[in-house]
Amino acid sequence: MGGKVTCTLGEVKNRADFIVYWGGNPAECHPRHFTKYALIPKGKFVPRGRKDRTMVLVDIRETKSARASDIFLQIKPGKDFEVLTILRALVKNQPVDRTQVSDTGLTMDQLQDMVDRMKRAKFGVFFFGMGLSMTRGKHMNSAAVLTLAAELNAYTKFVAMPMRGHGNVTGADVVMRWQTGYPFGINFSRGYPRFNPGEFSTIDLLVRGDADAALILGADPGATMPQPCIDHLARIPTIVLDPKVTHTSRLAKVHITTAATGISAPGTAYRMDEVPLPLRPALQTSYPTDEQIIRRIYDAVASKPDWMIHSGKMTSAQI
Amino acid sequence: MVLNIVKNATCTFCGCVCDDIELHADEYRITQAKKACMLGKAWFLNHTAEQLYPDALIDGKEVSVDQAVEAAAELLDQADMPLIYGMSNITCEAQREAVALGERLGGVVDSHTSL
Repeated sequence: MGGKVTCTLGEVKNRADFIVYWGGNPAECHPRHFTKYALIPKGKFVPRGRKDRTMVLVDIRETKSARASDIFLQIKPGKDFEVLTILRALVKNQPVDRTQVSDTGLTMDQLQDMVDRMKRAKFGVFFFGMGLSMTRGKHMNSAAVLTLAAELNAYTKFVAMPMRGHGNVTGADVVMRWQTGYPFGINFSRGYPRFNPGEFSTIDLLVRGDADAALILGADPGATMPQPCIDHLARIPTIVLDPKVTHTSRLAKVHITTAATGISAPGTAYRMDEVPLPLRPALQTSYPTDEQIIRRIYDAVASKPDWMIHSGKMTSAQI
Repeated sequence: MVLNIVKNATCTFCGCVCDDIELHADEYRITQAKKACMLGKAWFLNHTAEQLYPDALIDGKEVSVDQAVEAAAELLDQADMPLIYGMSNITCEAQREAVALGERLGGVVDSHTSL
């Protein structure tokens, strides 16, 4: 689980009586999160379901999810890290600066009430979204909320879980962790995996122009990424595997149509709490699966001289 | 027309990965996605088994999958710093193959997580 204090959504359903959504809008982005997993269901230790739970929403604007919340804390944009740090201080009964509190958009009373409620909870959970993890502070914000959850365990049971967006993005983290020890942004150019987000992450590689070929798997950066990234993808040979001809396919050198994951391609996908689930496709297709095509590309590459021996960097004995 | 009913189907649209969906499908289309949310319904009902797209393209021209695979392998092998990106809408089995390919190429493997 990568060191974070977390749990499965089954535990949330059966135990959580205090639920905080931070920087996310599940009502519109994860519509069944409330009803199937977290807020509404009746659970073993929360037999009355919604009535036994308190829900807090922390966000910079009043989204549709605010209607489902008991308490809505509207903070100023870019102040997530400050709010989390003040909460960590208050949890430990440390003094905090009043001007720093007012800079967050919240009052001391609101923050103290939040701390009291967190400590009183039997089982608390933070669900944090991209409004926290992708704004000013980025991974430091994620680290702060994970640390707050960990520190609250001195008083009660508290966990944290990211609200993952795309279907099997959790699976990508898990598979890469299993195979390389790191979750994403892995560079094999020295023959062993190295991890350094900001250096080996896609946007940075493309903006700097470091990558000189790209294989895009079930994604459409041509429609979603910053323009300098798209420009670079158009400059270099780009290969796209996708069930549809996408924006990226149109600027790519090679496009291969593959079966749609979970619709006509079987396999496994991970839920956001890192529970693997089997896919049960309802349609049949004559398109090959991503798995088959990637393996065929691998076999074709493997039939060529190994780049590492060929480049004189290593002998076959070292590999 | 054969109606195919799949119980406890899994939706891979968002990170919730709900696995209690009941799908009704004919030969070409999913006609119903019971229990799915708005986003899940749109996801299931907008796919089709019809061959709407060419098997493979090189420079926008239709080619065979064999040719496209060979061209892809050549381009990736020639590159000094090939990037493998995406991976959030493919199966774990395909992700495993992608990491193996990245290692063989001496390239970079990355997912939507880094965005």
